[in-house]
Amino acid sequence: MLFNSVQFLFFLPIVVALYYLLAPRLRWILLFAASCYFYMVFYPPYILILFAIVLIDYFSGLLIEKSKGARRKFFLLISIIGNIGLLSYFKYFNFFLTSWNDIAGTDIGMTFEIEFILLPIGLSFHTFQSLSYTIEVYRGNQKAERHIGYFANYVLFFPQMVAGPIERYERLGNQLRETHPYRYENISTGFKLVLYGLFVKMCVADNLAPIVTQVYEHPENFSPLSIFLALVAFSLQIYADFYGYSTIAIGAAKMMGINLMDNFRQPYFAVNIRDFWQRWHISLSTWFRDYVFIPMGGSRVNTFRFMFNILVLFTISGFWHGAQYTFLIWGALHGILYLMEYFINKIPGVNALTKLPVAKIFLGLKTFLLVTFIWIFFRAENMDNAKGIIHGLFQSAQPKDVPLDFRIWILIPVFLFFILEISIVKSRFDAWLQNRVVFTRWFSYAVLIFCILLFSGIKSYEFIYFKF
Amino acid sequence: MMNRSILKGICFCLLLVSVTALANVVYVKWFYYDDVVEADATMLFRLDSLEDVADIIYIGESSNATYAKTDTCALRISELIQRQVPGAVVATLDHGAYHARGYLELIKNITPGSRVNTLIITMNLRSFGALWINSTLETPLMKANVMYQRYPPIIKRMMLALGEYDQKTWEERAPIIRDHWKNDKLNVPPDFPHKTTSEWDGWRCMAGIDTLPDGTWDHARINFACNFIKILGFSIDTLSNPRIKDFDEIVEVAKEKNLHLVFNLLPENVQYADSIAGPQLAQLIRQNRDLLVKRYNKNGVIVVDNIEKVPGKNFIEQDQVTEHYDQLGRWIIATNVVMTAGKYLTKRGS
Repeated sequence: MLFNSVQFLFFLPIVVALYYLLAPRLRWILLFAASCYFYMVFYPPYILILFAIVLIDYFSGLLIEKSKGARRKFFLLISIIGNIGLLSYFKYFNFFLTSWNDIAGTDIGMTFEIEFILLPIGLSFHTFQSLSYTIEVYRGNQKAERHIGYFANYVLFFPQMVAGPIERYERLGNQLRETHPYRYENISTGFKLVLYGLFVKMCVADNLAPIVTQVYEHPENFSPLSIFLALVAFSLQIYADFYGYSTIAIGAAKMMGINLMDNFRQPYFAVNIRDFWQRWHISLSTWFRDYVFIPMGGSRVNTFRFMFNILVLFTISGFWHGAQYTFLIWGALHGILYLMEYFINKIPGVNALTKLPVAKIFLGLKTFLLVTFIWIFFRAENMDNAKGIIHGLFQSAQPKDVPLDFRIWILIPVFLFFILEISIVKSRFDAWLQNRVVFTRWFSYAVLIFCILLFSGIKSYEFIYFKF
Repeated sequence: MMNRSILKGICFCLLLVSVTALANVVYVKWFYYDDVVEADATMLFRLDSLEDVADIIYIGESSNATYAKTDTCALRISELIQRQVPGAVVATLDHGAYHARGYLELIKNITPGSRVNTLIITMNLRSFGALWINSTLETPLMKANVMYQRYPPIIKRMMLALGEYDQKTWEERAPIIRDHWKNDKLNVPPDFPHKTTSEWDGWRCMAGIDTLPDGTWDHARINFACNFIKILGFSIDTLSNPRIKDFDEIVEVAKEKNLHLVFNLLPENVQYADSIAGPQLAQLIRQNRDLLVKRYNKNGVIVVDNIEKVPGKNFIEQDQVTEHYDQLGRWIIATNVVMTAGKYLTKRGS
């Protein structure tokens, strides 16, 4: 089920109402049923994949806790192989077959037929979330969950099951067990976040999407300036899309008294790539930090090993997003830029210089432009498409210059979003609104509803991160 | 605590209603027209401008206004009907790939008591098949359909923004089509070996029974035959076919609005279907034709049976199945409509 659908507008209030009407000990059944329904709206048979993940990690957790020595590692391996195996089959199998066919298969006369595999929505998210549980049990930081219902809800919890935030069991699992009495503040806060999230997704992301699409479909038709504008539009679109989704997810969970982690902190105000990744998709960044980067030695190694670790980390992160070379390049470029900035900052005096207020504006702009450029590989359908965009961006001759087709009024919600983001910097929309007088609060609701009604994109787009 | 929540809830509902009303006013004044154009639903405005000047409205798809390169007369079927009923004004609403679902929403917008007396609606046999019902063209058509619904404009806009229409991708539609072809039984004689579209098409594609003089397979002819089987090789199930439901509803709406109804059952290339795909296909087409004529005649609708009226050579496309006719074909259809439904093709009350 999409958050930006009529179904969800009915589904959420009904689930929240039932949640508070039910006795706390029965709520896990409601959440489980609601989450299954939420997921099955997309493609019912794939709920079995989620059940498989639940079963593998539930029993792995119990067995790891009971075992000692090599057996613990063995059961952890079972969990890793189970999760990564499912992920590999559904997401990466065809990529490897295609790569084999392209690189070696034809030469040695051994090619494989590629069969279409429908990617389960959000598979990368719930496998990573579930995997973090077994790793924490293995490390001894987390007690294994005995109640399979609560564990299933941890993997399936509908507000964040398909696109995060990727929560740890310590945080979400334990909250699912708690009794949450009805509190008006929770409903109010949740509502504010859902409303703001819908505004960001429907009025900003969905209005920018057609601008981006027309340029990426036919880059040869557009001038360098139009292509540049489309790249900036995509930077805003993907942020608004994912940030909007996360905000709705946090709001929906909050209505039931459950706190999800913040996934974004104004990433385009970052002054360097490192800073960007501390503000963008925080739950994924911290997952990779804790379960990939630190086990590899992190930054407490020699320089060459550190460089290697960073490049591996970012490349894997790129590959996590999609089984395409474009994503690998996207991740690797982030890694390379990260290292370049790291070494530039080592030059004596540079660090002090970057702390100047004027420098921060310049560095912020530089980071935004770099990230915007690298998004080309994230958005492009394939390498040829990415090359077409880059070629178009830097071409001097203009064979054609088709004007960008968009309605000027879409800038109204984009501008409003920009103003709001500047206003709520270092805070969150609900907290920012909470500190206003009653009139301002209700006026803000009215403005957001008015904008959603009047300025939302006329076409509904799936959340970009759903396909990961 | 609970009282406070209820009070705030009521305040919020009032705010929501007020903001929606205000947004609707602003939307209609500045944005609605552009959205209707973008959703390709301009027939809504055309209907508004027609209902006080037209006695008869002809509603159809591309068959009405597709012309052959050799045509010397570029008149629509509806315009050819107009020529033959000078006493009444015939207006046209047509749009490529449109079908009964869209006609239905459009007809609901006709104001009771308007000048319109009769509706001539094209009934395209192909639109009852799985391939058309699940075509990717449905996405833009259903988007336009949202705009034809009789909700306040701002609500229609929200329905579009929330994707409240059939917007399945081809990846989602293809398996549905395959399932229909595989599972829907054909009403064929017991001795005919292929009981489903899938079996029939598979056999026809693989058997290579059409050969060229040099002994190689005649791929063009095989493709044409398979095209025929996929598109017209079905038996209408009146209980589950969505198009039947749409036409049934059209009949009800027309009765409510006191409108005469004429279904113009469009010609299919039965001649080629018989010779290229086989007599069983021609038989299926005739069975479906008989079913539709009988069903809707019984409901007081005049069904103009054009199925076999146009000879194969008068179809514009000679290598694929369409309902596009050259000028003679269009003239034949128009004349048959006037001959069969003449009593309805008048001004209201005459």
